[in-house]
Amino acid sequence: MTPATTSSNNWSVLERKLGTFNRLMTTKAAIGQTPKDLIWTLNKAKLYHYVPVVASEARHRVPLLLVFALMNRPTIMDLRRGHSFVEYMVGRGYDVYLLDWGVPGPEDKGMKFDDYVLDYMPRAIRKMKSVSGSSEFSMLGWCIGAILTTIYAAMRPDDGLRNLLLLTAPLDFSNQEKLTFARWTDEKCFDVDKVLATFGNMPGEMIDYGAKALKPVENYVTNFCKLWDNLDDPRAVEAWHAMNTWVTDIFPMAGGAYRQLIVDFYRNNRLMKGELQIRGELVKLNRLRANLLNVIAEADHITPPCQSEAILSKVGSTDTEIYRVRGGHIGIMAGSSAPKQTWPHIDRWLGARSD
Amino acid sequence: MCELNLGGVNMTAEHVDAGPQIDPFEAFRGMRDKYLESMSKVMIDAVNTEEYAQATGAMLNNYLTLSTPFREALDKAMLMALEQFSLPSRQQVIALAERFTNLEMRLDDIDSKLDRILESQSASQPSVAGVTPGAGQSSMSEAKTLHQANNRKGQRSK
Repeated sequence: MTPATTSSNNWSVLERKLGTFNRLMTTKAAIGQTPKDLIWTLNKAKLYHYVPVVASEARHRVPLLLVFALMNRPTIMDLRRGHSFVEYMVGRGYDVYLLDWGVPGPEDKGMKFDDYVLDYMPRAIRKMKSVSGSSEFSMLGWCIGAILTTIYAAMRPDDGLRNLLLLTAPLDFSNQEKLTFARWTDEKCFDVDKVLATFGNMPGEMIDYGAKALKPVENYVTNFCKLWDNLDDPRAVEAWHAMNTWVTDIFPMAGGAYRQLIVDFYRNNRLMKGELQIRGELVKLNRLRANLLNVIAEADHITPPCQSEAILSKVGSTDTEIYRVRGGHIGIMAGSSAPKQTWPHIDRWLGARSD
Repeated sequence: MCELNLGGVNMTAEHVDAGPQIDPFEAFRGMRDKYLESMSKVMIDAVNTEEYAQATGAMLNNYLTLSTPFREALDKAMLMALEQFSLPSRQQVIALAERFTNLEMRLDDIDSKLDRILESQSASQPSVAGVTPGAGQSSMSEAKTLHQANNRKGQRSK
């Protein structure tokens, strides 16, 4: 091969890589593709029922409700065909429902955890019970969704909640030294009321920056270098594209809820201290009696393990388990090892308690 | 809070599966990765300091303080313009949206009560359906199905 041919080949490789890179940066991957029915709406919230693929007699009796965080799309649970937690659970015979909080508008700036837990969740759960025909249900809460489901489980222990699964649950804020977010949002540095008075809701861009700034080099540089290195691998490109589509779909968090997250949780750790009040009612964790699986990501820098560990000593549940997974905040459920580690464990634990 | 991009982690794992590739820039990549790794540690330590927290907080605070007069002036001008064009202001639209949400909640409560009534009627039907066994139960079941179908938006998405 002549030097001229080699040079030409190098240029064509570079051109192809640039084309792929440009496509990944400017298009969105198809995520959240598992077939589903919309069965309930309230304001921006939607409740979806995934179309079962297992015959009704072979399905688990107790339906599963998925609750994700307030500031990201729940499509991370249904990322892409062949690599979707929802698809996996539906295939394993669960009757799966997803509560999507939607994107808060300026009119929702006053919405608090109180509203989500006492107005939205009971209504969505009622509809799920009505559609599934089951008075019992399981609930999986991830990140802020885990805070919401924990509060709900503690406040409504007789509502039929049989199994509660918490994923990377930021519940204990006592170890302030390990919480970078706590340092950034301390009242000495961060005037949450001034921010919310200006914007109403907490802008998605600021939340996004906060999350990425925890590991700035990885998120702003290494991520793209790795992509460039793997541009010739279609599987890797597809995985990156789906994840990037989810990551870049940012939206604001309701102002009232954000204020509570900072003041009640990050600054005062009120839930664990037993001081958190939701619409005037004290949240007592010892009233939570559902079977509890607490999934902790050992390399989680957003919710370090110390934030999730203490919950088991506070709840009234007798059937509890901590499952530690190697991985990060999102990686344990959406990473390449999730279908081999986290999902099968969740299936085994939940399957034994869902009939 | 959950936005952290972990795509890189996934790709690394999957790349291993794809097998080795001949790459003349491998040495350069190794150096680059080592540099990024050390930089990453430095930056993580830097953002974890009290100084970083205070600096970013001060920047945000200054931005909010400086932009407030401009934003207020803009809001005032916009309000006047909207009034001139007989268009509703943002506050009026927000008030309307809040009323919609309240109405939705009332409808949801009614829906819940209707479900309960239908369920209790279905449950009591066998004891009163002496004249035409099964007929009442069937119509009640149909009514419930119809009610659920009406509630269901029917927006199946793939």
